Amino acid sequence: MNMSKGKLLIDVGSTYFKVCTQDHLEQHFRNFNKSIHDDLTQKCGAIIDKFDKQDIHICSSANGGLSTLIIGVTHTFSLKYATNIAFNSGINIIDTVLYQDIEEASIPSDLIDVVIVVGGINSRGDVFAEPLFNYLKGIDYSNIVYVGNELDAESIKANIPNIAVLPNIIDDRLHIVEEELKTYLTNLYQQDIMGKQDIKDLYDITGNQIYSTPYIVNRTLPLVDAKFSVVNPFILLDIGGATTDIHYSKDLVEDNIVTENEFDRLVFKKLGVYKSRESLIFAAKSNEFVGELLMHLNVTENIFADHSDKATHILMQLAIFLVLCKMSNYHQAYINLKLLAINSIVLTGGITKVLSQEEVEDIIAFFYTKILTSEHRPVTIMDTDYAIWTLGSAS
Amino acid sequence: MKVVTGVVGNDIHVVANRLIDLSLQARGYEVFNLGVNTYLEEFFDAAVETGAEVLLISSLNGEAEGWGREVKSLKREYKDLDDLIMVIGGNLTVGTGNAEEIVPKYKNYGFDIVCHQIDLNTGLDMLEEFIQQRDAGGQSK
Ligand code: B12
Repeated sequence: MNMSKGKLLIDVGSTYFKVCTQDHLEQHFRNFNKSIHDDLTQKCGAIIDKFDKQDIHICSSANGGLSTLIIGVTHTFSLKYATNIAFNSGINIIDTVLYQDIEEASIPSDLIDVVIVVGGINSRGDVFAEPLFNYLKGIDYSNIVYVGNELDAESIKANIPNIAVLPNIIDDRLHIVEEELKTYLTNLYQQDIMGKQDIKDLYDITGNQIYSTPYIVNRTLPLVDAKFSVVNPFILLDIGGATTDIHYSKDLVEDNIVTENEFDRLVFKKLGVYKSRESLIFAAKSNEFVGELLMHLNVTENIFADHSDKATHILMQLAIFLVLCKMSNYHQAYINLKLLAINSIVLTGGITKVLSQEEVEDIIAFFYTKILTSEHRPVTIMDTDYAIWTLGSAS
Repeated sequence: MKVVTGVVGNDIHVVANRLIDLSLQARGYEVFNLGVNTYLEEFFDAAVETGAEVLLISSLNGEAEGWGREVKSLKREYKDLDDLIMVIGGNLTVGTGNAEEIVPKYKNYGFDIVCHQIDLNTGLDMLEEFIQQRDAGGQSK
């Protein structure tokens, strides 16, 4: 076999495969009637064969991720900190219960991959008791982890079978402590990916650990300015087929989380241009500015019924607009980004293959003018050759 | 005894906040200082997370007036804060105002101790007295 130098990087998304070597990049629309392995080897077998298993790196966001339920005692500390850590560990689906309302809280009917219980600094005991234990008896979960105050740990262990106990994520100065919970969740995600037959099969192709794509991207962000002429602070939008990920510099949020992380991640789980197309259209129809935006783009609402290339362009432009809107709305969002302070907007993912720089800039300008009534124009950077993801996978 | 403190709203006057932190510590309190730019919900949430018995808010730029009105309804949403001792001080109105009007107004907002333009040590003496009286009352019950 004629072995190629360097590495082969493969990203398995919900919609596309991306395959990248040192000097070549290709992407393929997935065939959903085939297993990932068969589809991939059929489309890219020739290139895969040129590499040694050890030189092939795969990351994936195709498994949908873990569903998480967080039970915490306040919105601004325990629930927020745990949510932040979960997002940064690549988790997409997060529900929360405020402990004081647990007796009235609805019981989720679906199986939950992981329950996180958190609350109180270490010197604060007696936070959790019967109401928690009763609630948990009613729900169906695969894993449970306690990251709250130390004083309650004993009774938690005694009353909740198989609970993992990790150090408190809130320290004595009310600051966040991320590492151990993040490692725990990342490992669970890993096990989940590996548990899926579709992904398991891919170990046939690679000799390396398969990671989740958002984890890889988050790891790359501190390196982004080296690769692009990005002016800090920036946000990175990864508008995909099923979800939209936003990674943002911590300078852009005013909040009480004091952390070493320079970047945080946020996910809109039902905003995408293929698998989540319907919910994207629904969100668009409920946005009062979208009519005007469609007019600006010279199309009508009929475009939503269309499946042409033109319609995909419009949907992608709408997705950018809706994401920016969601982040500018203080009360509904989990965070509120200081959009006027953003100096660069970096776009990655399939969207960079479809939209031109001008089309993106047009939407961003529309957003800043209409919604923020501002002349501010962040610089738009298109990661057309997936350099961001490549940086992370290879490092 | 645990105390949560900070400066409410978009107020960035930090000097008093630092002094309050130090003075409280010197008097033996365990202090959780949320610093400047702190929203009401964060104060109450910090009291829940720490189990603090005292919440001491300061306001210098005149914003407290607006926040004060929201205290009661927000606090009502918390199930375990009934015994929290609530203190506020600094410049509690925009421009000049007199204490005879300001103090009852803030008591009505739900504060136990109101220190409009009162020097810090005097205010902290008032807090100690309040705690003593409350404890004495509790024992006689
Ligand atoms: C320094 C200063 C600033 C600096 C602050 C720098 C910083 N990061 O701290 C700067 C220039 C940034 C500033 C900005 C503004 N400021 Co200014 N500032 C002052 C100034 C001159 C001194 C404040 C100070 O540090 N004093 C020293 C500390 C130790 O004293 P203190 O703050 O009064 O606190 C004492 C007591 O009040 C008490 N105390 C405080 N909290 C509590 C709580 C309790 C429970 C108790 C018991 C006691 C207590 O204890 C302290 C020690 O005794 C005062 C005027 C003055 N001379 O007081 C104006 C003053 C506070 N500022 C004022 C204003 C209006 C502003 C601005 C709105 C101005 C503007 N138009 O931009 C902005 C607001 C910015 C914002 N978002 O908050 C007004 C507030 C008026 C009002 N309440 O009606 C003041 C009073 C000036 C004035 N006379 O108009 N300011």
